[in-house]
Amino acid sequence: MSYAYLFKYIIIGDTGVGKSCLLLQFTDKRFQPVHDLTIGVEFGARMINIDNKQIKLQIWDTAGQESFRSITRSYYRGAAGALLVYDITRRETFNHLTSWLEDARQHSSSNMVIMLIGNKSDLESRRDVRKEEGESFAREHGLVFMETSAKTAANVEEAFINTAKEIYQKIQQGLFDVNNEANGIKIGPQQPAGASSGAGAGSRHGAQGSGDTSNCC
Amino acid sequence: PFPREMGWCHTLAAGTLLIFSFSCRYMYHVLTKNTTVTDHNRNLLVETIRSITQILIWGDQNDSSVFDFFLEKNMFVFFLNILRQKSGRYVCVQLLQTLNILFENISHETSLYYLLSNNYVNSIIVHKFDFSDEEIMAYYISFLKTLSLKLNNHTVHFFYNEHTNDFALYTEAIKFFNHPESMVRIAVRTITLNVYKVDNQPMLHYIRDKTAVPYFSNLVWFIGSHVIELDNCVQTDEEHRNRGKLSDLVAEHLDHLHYLNDILIINCEFLNEVLTDHLLNRLFLPLYVYSLVNQDKSCSIRDKCSFLSPVILNGDLSVFSSKSEQDVQKNSAKSSIRCFIKPTETLERSLEINKHKGKKRLQKRPNYKNVGEEEEEERGPEDVQEDLDKAKGTECSSKGVKTSGESEEIEMVIMERCKLSELSISAVTEQNTTDEEKSAAASGSEISNWNRPFLDMVYKAVDCAEDDYYALFVLCLLYAMSHNKGMDPFKLERIQLPAYHAEEKSSYNQVLAERLIRITNYAAQPDGKIRLATLELGCLLLKQLVVSKSGSIIKDVHLACLEVRIISGLFFLKGEEIFLDMFEDEYRSMTIKYLMMDASILLPPTGTPLTGIDFVKRLPCGDVERTRRAIRVFFMLRSLSLHLRDEPETQLPLTREEDLIKTDDVLDLNNSDLIACTVITKDGGQVQRFLAVDIYQMSLVEPDIARLGWGVVKFAGLLQDMQVTGVEDDSRALNIIIHKPASSPHSKPFPILQATFVFSDHIRCIIAKQRLAKGRIQARRMKMQRIAALLDLPVQPSNEVMGFGHNAASMSQHLPFRFYDQARRNSNDPTVQRSVFASVDKVPGFAVAQCINQPNPSPLSSPSPPSSGSGSTGHCDSVTASSASTPSATQSPSGTKSLHLAHNPVKNPEIETANLSPSLIPAQQPTISLISNDNTDALSVESLTLVPPVEPHSIHAFSCVPPSSLPSDNCTATEEDGSCRSQPADDDEQ
Repeated sequence: MSYAYLFKYIIIGDTGVGKSCLLLQFTDKRFQPVHDLTIGVEFGARMINIDNKQIKLQIWDTAGQESFRSITRSYYRGAAGALLVYDITRRETFNHLTSWLEDARQHSSSNMVIMLIGNKSDLESRRDVRKEEGESFAREHGLVFMETSAKTAANVEEAFINTAKEIYQKIQQGLFDVNNEANGIKIGPQQPAGASSGAGAGSRHGAQGSGDTSNCC
Repeated sequence: PFPREMGWCHTLAAGTLLIFSFSCRYMYHVLTKNTTVTDHNRNLLVETIRSITQILIWGDQNDSSVFDFFLEKNMFVFFLNILRQKSGRYVCVQLLQTLNILFENISHETSLYYLLSNNYVNSIIVHKFDFSDEEIMAYYISFLKTLSLKLNNHTVHFFYNEHTNDFALYTEAIKFFNHPESMVRIAVRTITLNVYKVDNQPMLHYIRDKTAVPYFSNLVWFIGSHVIELDNCVQTDEEHRNRGKLSDLVAEHLDHLHYLNDILIINCEFLNEVLTDHLLNRLFLPLYVYSLVNQDKSCSIRDKCSFLSPVILNGDLSVFSSKSEQDVQKNSAKSSIRCFIKPTETLERSLEINKHKGKKRLQKRPNYKNVGEEEEEERGPEDVQEDLDKAKGTECSSKGVKTSGESEEIEMVIMERCKLSELSISAVTEQNTTDEEKSAAASGSEISNWNRPFLDMVYKAVDCAEDDYYALFVLCLLYAMSHNKGMDPFKLERIQLPAYHAEEKSSYNQVLAERLIRITNYAAQPDGKIRLATLELGCLLLKQLVVSKSGSIIKDVHLACLEVRIISGLFFLKGEEIFLDMFEDEYRSMTIKYLMMDASILLPPTGTPLTGIDFVKRLPCGDVERTRRAIRVFFMLRSLSLHLRDEPETQLPLTREEDLIKTDDVLDLNNSDLIACTVITKDGGQVQRFLAVDIYQMSLVEPDIARLGWGVVKFAGLLQDMQVTGVEDDSRALNIIIHKPASSPHSKPFPILQATFVFSDHIRCIIAKQRLAKGRIQARRMKMQRIAALLDLPVQPSNEVMGFGHNAASMSQHLPFRFYDQARRNSNDPTVQRSVFASVDKVPGFAVAQCINQPNPSPLSSPSPPSSGSGSTGHCDSVTASSASTPSATQSPSGTKSLHLAHNPVKNPEIETANLSPSLIPAQQPTISLISNDNTDALSVESLTLVPPVEPHSIHAFSCVPPSSLPSDNCTATEEDGSCRSQPADDDEQ
């Protein structure tokens, strides 16, 4: 289970925008949303590969803890990346982005990479927020933008990985102090040789995912 | 359609149910066949567990009979069995993840009860996982967190066993309270908060009796260690090299304080009791308050305290008012052990022993003492030192001898009053009160300054002749104290520090007021070592101190001491072009945020920006910054002074939004110089517009369809922010860019207009260019004049520049633009129109001129017509009128100009009404073009803004014209000189 870096992410946004589903979709594809089941999870980890480096992503969903100021505050500070999620079928979730962003900027380190995500892109017919609006919000606030669907998995992979790429880039540019774990980045333990076999939760999923889901039905 | 759809759904559900119950059985079969985990069946097992989870969630959402099967077969037993086989991290992680998902997604209470009803979940919680594996740790703590989110008064019984006194979820979680991984610590805090939130008395009693002391004492120790580390960090800092680490530590400490606050505001009475007791006696008093005695060392900690206050601001702890003498008694009895001591056992052990009170032995003393003393030597005599000797004496004795005599008590009172109160745990202050009352009663006398060394010290520190390192902390502290909702106003009253929301007051703390005023005086001095942040806080406090609901109660003596004037030598760049921009920019970017959360103020004040410290939190470096600073100081002092005098601000900002011409305003452009042009924007759009130049603004208008001679503003921008450049290969065109200045330090100035203006010929183009360029200079000069008047700067011989010598009275009626906003657009009543400008009873600009001419003008007292009153737009315009007119008279290159423009303004209304034929294309006709093309060209530069007195012969000139062609002669000379070729009417002209 060796990795070059570990990046900690948080997912923020209004309730019901599909944060935990996105997380699960990314970390464990075997939970395909079948039978209209919406399944989510509050924590997940997965290995990805950037630039031939193994990078572990640890993603923490902050849902349900908003009532405690101390908790949100600390979460923001300890993360290197944040996915700011809204629901394209509910305008109010888009309208609340500003205050989420303000919170994030206030508490996080200035280097935190924030990706804006318009989720539920599969529900085109019920769309309430145009894609251009998301784009222009992102442009205005210097975020990366993407529309995803936790249900169909569209762009989910990209959202997480692109965020990681940007963090990685910032590390290369020396913007992140990787020795300071308070930034949400950790350097991996010394690489034990040949440990790669059993480990890769991520790589495993890809292969098994489709087959398994069909089995269980 | 609805019922049918439901039916369809139902069928589907029934179908899936069949499949599910089949696969359930299959999975059960798999589990029974594979009770031992091997390399071969590992994946199969993991997959099976996952599928079961999915089915259970489906069951929760659709058909609960799935749960019956699950229960019946005791599926959790299999889980546990698998876990206990040391089956390796892969299976462990998968299982934990599955459990996470399961509990996260179950939404029905009954389903939850099913899952929790056997004690299996608790068995999983206490299972000894390999916590050295960070992934297992993360999944495990997330699992606990997910469970804690499901806690409520009903479900708590599944976790807390009253009979066995077991609460694994909680006790297992808090073992990780100081885990090196921050996310784990955060999760632990979340879990504890979720537990405390559940209003279940037996459970809370258990928490208090069996776990609170060990947990809180360890927590307090943990926090205290951080504080000491932080302090060391400050002490050992050289050249600000520790800033990065320091800011992490501060953030961490703030997290702790927020956490404490979150616990306190859950408002669980008896938990708070234990917590505040620990905080008070093991952290705040020994570490923070006592350390205050050694002035120097305390600084870091002191402002820690100040940090604390805003944090715990909301701590509504009214509960504690019920606390009685008895508590106090207990407290003072305990005072002998007010030390910052490391708990003797580890938390884990304490929990096991379930000791009610862990023995606290003074095994070592990693407390302030050590640090403090060496500090003292290091720093030597600080101004506070002598004062503190006495205090220290008593202090030491109280600690060393451990008597709780009267003196100590008073000491405590004072300390608490000065310091603790700001710790803002009102429990603390509540205790103070009683404490104090008691001691006051005992001593039977008022507490005089004599025995208020702490208060003295606080005041002393406000004195910052040398630097404001300490003063800033003290101000933070005082500010926080007065803003803390948990503070008893009565307590504040005792030190005459009014709460910020205090209704009425008749007197104020003169000592403090005088010291604050001194700060403002220092700040205004050339070499004042006052940082802007300090000054701003000082001003805030002073306002708070002396202004009550009904107005300012400041004594005249004090008011007189307030220095508003700033030595003009401080404005280093005052002669330069950039000064105006700086001036306005500084005005926009006032206010300091999050001051007390910034680690950088912990280090001694520095001057260099190379540290990366905010401008407001350090001293200026170089002339530009010194100028910026002087400007800011001026703004703050001015605002303070106005506030204390209950006078409104009439001069600042120099440009007020509401005074400006805005898009869609409708202007009376009769008599105005207009130049027709084609505006080509960057994206290729083309529009026909008339360019008009006002005092401060240039605008692009299009004719108003409703009223001849009027125009609707399509764009307006400030001349001062405009850049005009010629176009290389087109002599008829100009590139014009207008930037909107950045409104906050984070945003960049962005162009609100970026376009090429194409005029009908190169002459028109040159005219426009000149007019804009002149307009820009004029606008900037105007503002500079006003700044000079405000700042009491020596004014360059500017009479002819601004034309104040001119008899402006005659000008006042000739306003370059008269405009109505949209709302007034329909009113044709001339009286209304007049009324807008009717308030021009005082000559605008005159006052300013006066200011300038006075040797020592007080900016405050000078009436400022440009921005006062409702008719401010009118005023504004009139200023221009008066000022702009002069140049034409005195310095315009071509002396002929003034005649040109002179139309008879008085006549206009009549003519307008007479000629009005709305159906005609408005205003396009260059009526007079034949008469004086050359002239107009030559003179036009200033013509728009200048409205010279009516000259008989010019009236003449005009009156002959109208008959020639145009519907109105309000398409005046200006119109003509700017009329564009593109207009159809052009042909007539020829």
